[in-house]
Amino acid sequence: MSQDQPRKPPLEKIWDFFASVKLSFFLLLLLAVLSIAGTLIPQKEGAAAYVRAYGEAGWRFISALGLQDLYHAPWFVLIMALLAANLVICSLNRLSLTLRILGKDPAQEAGAMRKAKDSFNLSGEPGTNLDRARRVLERLVGPSAQAKDQERTVLFAQRGGWSRFGVYVVHTSVLVIMAGALVGNFWGYAGFVNIPVGQSVDHMTLDNGQPRPLGFSVRLDKFDISYYPNGMPSEYRSEVTFIDGGKETQKSSLIVNDPAEYQGIDFYQSSYGNDLKAMEVDLVRDGKKQRLTLKARAINQLPGGAKAAIQGWRERVEMGAMYNGPVARILYQEAQGEPQAYTAFTPGVKMPQPGPIKFEIVKLQTEPYSGLQVKYDPGVWFIWVGCTMMVAGFFIAFYFSHRKVWLRLGPAGQGRTRVEIAGATNKNRLGLTRLLSRLAHELGGGPKKAE
Amino acid sequence: MEALSNQILVAVTFTFMAASVLYLCHWAFKSKVFGWAASGVTWAAFAVLTLAIILRWVASHQMGIGHAPFSNLFESLVFFAWTIAVIYLIIELVTWMRAIGAFTIPLAFLAMLYALSLDPAIKPLLPALKSNWLIAHVITCFLGYAGFAISAALGAMYLATGQAKDPASPRALVLDNLIYQTVVVGFILLTAGIVTGSIWANSAWGTYWSWDPKETWSLITWLVYASLLHSRFMRGWQGKRMAVFSLVGFGCVLFTYFGVNLLLSGLHSYATGKS
Ligand code: HEM
Repeated sequence: MSQDQPRKPPLEKIWDFFASVKLSFFLLLLLAVLSIAGTLIPQKEGAAAYVRAYGEAGWRFISALGLQDLYHAPWFVLIMALLAANLVICSLNRLSLTLRILGKDPAQEAGAMRKAKDSFNLSGEPGTNLDRARRVLERLVGPSAQAKDQERTVLFAQRGGWSRFGVYVVHTSVLVIMAGALVGNFWGYAGFVNIPVGQSVDHMTLDNGQPRPLGFSVRLDKFDISYYPNGMPSEYRSEVTFIDGGKETQKSSLIVNDPAEYQGIDFYQSSYGNDLKAMEVDLVRDGKKQRLTLKARAINQLPGGAKAAIQGWRERVEMGAMYNGPVARILYQEAQGEPQAYTAFTPGVKMPQPGPIKFEIVKLQTEPYSGLQVKYDPGVWFIWVGCTMMVAGFFIAFYFSHRKVWLRLGPAGQGRTRVEIAGATNKNRLGLTRLLSRLAHELGGGPKKAE
Repeated sequence: MEALSNQILVAVTFTFMAASVLYLCHWAFKSKVFGWAASGVTWAAFAVLTLAIILRWVASHQMGIGHAPFSNLFESLVFFAWTIAVIYLIIELVTWMRAIGAFTIPLAFLAMLYALSLDPAIKPLLPALKSNWLIAHVITCFLGYAGFAISAALGAMYLATGQAKDPASPRALVLDNLIYQTVVVGFILLTAGIVTGSIWANSAWGTYWSWDPKETWSLITWLVYASLLHSRFMRGWQGKRMAVFSLVGFGCVLFTYFGVNLLLSGLHSYATGKS
């Protein structure tokens, strides 16, 4: 096109550039190739992990290009935006053409018959055959229009014109899905809550670690795990109650793959575990034991002015034949002294312990909790609408076509009629050929074709 | 019943091998007899494979851990062989071009052979895998993969039989059109597969898309085939380029299917740890 008219204004050149299928071909492949990089470089790890894997220089390169979060890097988003612009402009460009094709006056089309693909003679004058020809044409194709061509008559019918919109449905669906992703990014949020059995929470922890009020509370009434005969877990189930303004407003039971929704916020069963409430330990000094109860997540004031806190704990640590049981790190500080960390095991264990004192774990007081993924995404309905549009659009675009058929009836002498058949389609020529031979067959001419 | 199903699967593998050899003979010697024999053997293999899959399904219910047999690599490979057979047999019924079998049925044989090298035990499903969307996901994805496998086989046939020398010959045009049609089938089903997969992910983890390597590779495959479909609207991309394109696309399918788990899991521990 541009070779024919070298003096196009620049704006029009830009428009043509964005309207071309070549650009979309290139952008689609470019997105594919760039996406590969994001599957080779681990995504969203900490800086230290990249330095370890690629060295300092490698990490500087990666962070400069945003390769550690490639799919959200500005240049990647820009390419997607270019694809969207390409789609919009290309579609606008073609839409006027499509509307013009569909808006053509059938009577005028009847007057512009294409080259005949098939012809044969029928007995009887054209006038007597015309009605029957019209009926067959209307049954096989659609409503007909008529035009005169000297002493001959042309009938025209078409079907499937609407299918020209299939491609627009597909292309619009891509935009709808992109819009859904944007809406989710801007107005949605995601995080989690861990709720101990019997307790309730009114805050969630966002994925970036910040707390966020839910606007209501969720109480975990019950948490259950069921097992297969071989011991593998078969189902995790949390029974929760939503409490709004002090009133219980909704009870839900949630399992993996079956989330619960409250006020547009979705809760997904995602993990479970045991949370430490307190730990009973013996403080052993010169073979004498003193029983203490240490609360978790607190600085415990001990008799005599000492302080102790649980720094970390594991319900079970397996060290082969040496040890198999709970372990805790306890930070302990005498009334006058420096804080010191001790590793505590159950009594009787042969572990080298520094210092004059040691701690022995007597009992863990734990409570089970259920971990729920929390999500609010107002864009998700765009996604499902877009996906449905896309698949429906595919069927229209690929399996329906716009077919036009012309029949010309004229005198063939000796009281006979000459029938000529022509057709046109925007795709699936094979289907059109079949339609035309069926038409010829039903009109009483042409060889019988299998269909 | 599980053991019986597994024995049948071994027999099916060898039947597909026999069918492959017969199709190759048919193609090499242009002999009708080989062609008929190849079709007969393939139909038999397909029927018995269907039976074996049903038996496996029933067996899982008898074990009290009933689930549709589409849940792990072994079962997916068996189903992949089944989908290749289905789509190929449909094409054979429509076109009567048996030479295509010489390029497609070996793929079914290879899929079965790979499956036989894996542990066939029926295992209970993890909670995250219990979903009807997952079943729809597996079925649509593998039918799509089979469409792409056959378009690649047709692409190989296009190149191997020298159609590129005379791209306007009727046979070249038929092959070109078949490559396009199978890509279209594959593309629609892959799209449906990605959609059902994200519906499943959304109900299991609360996110319909998380850019994990497997998801991303399925998107890469989708983008490659989307560009293939658009290449039709550019002059000069039919024929040989289309044939090569269909092979490249299938390379992406294979990488999505096997490569991500085999090659990328070393870097991405979370690629396998999610379910
Ligand atoms: C992810 C993005 C896209 C998808 C999924 C998509 C999908 C499709 C499909 C399914 C068809 C029908 C193909 C056929 O009939 O063989 C099509 C046709 C077409 N697409 Fe796209 N497309 C995308 C992006 C684009 C873009 C960015 C452009 C911009 C130029 C574009 C331009 C066209 C054109 C011109 C046609 C031919 C329409 C016709 O006359 O039938 N597409 N597209």
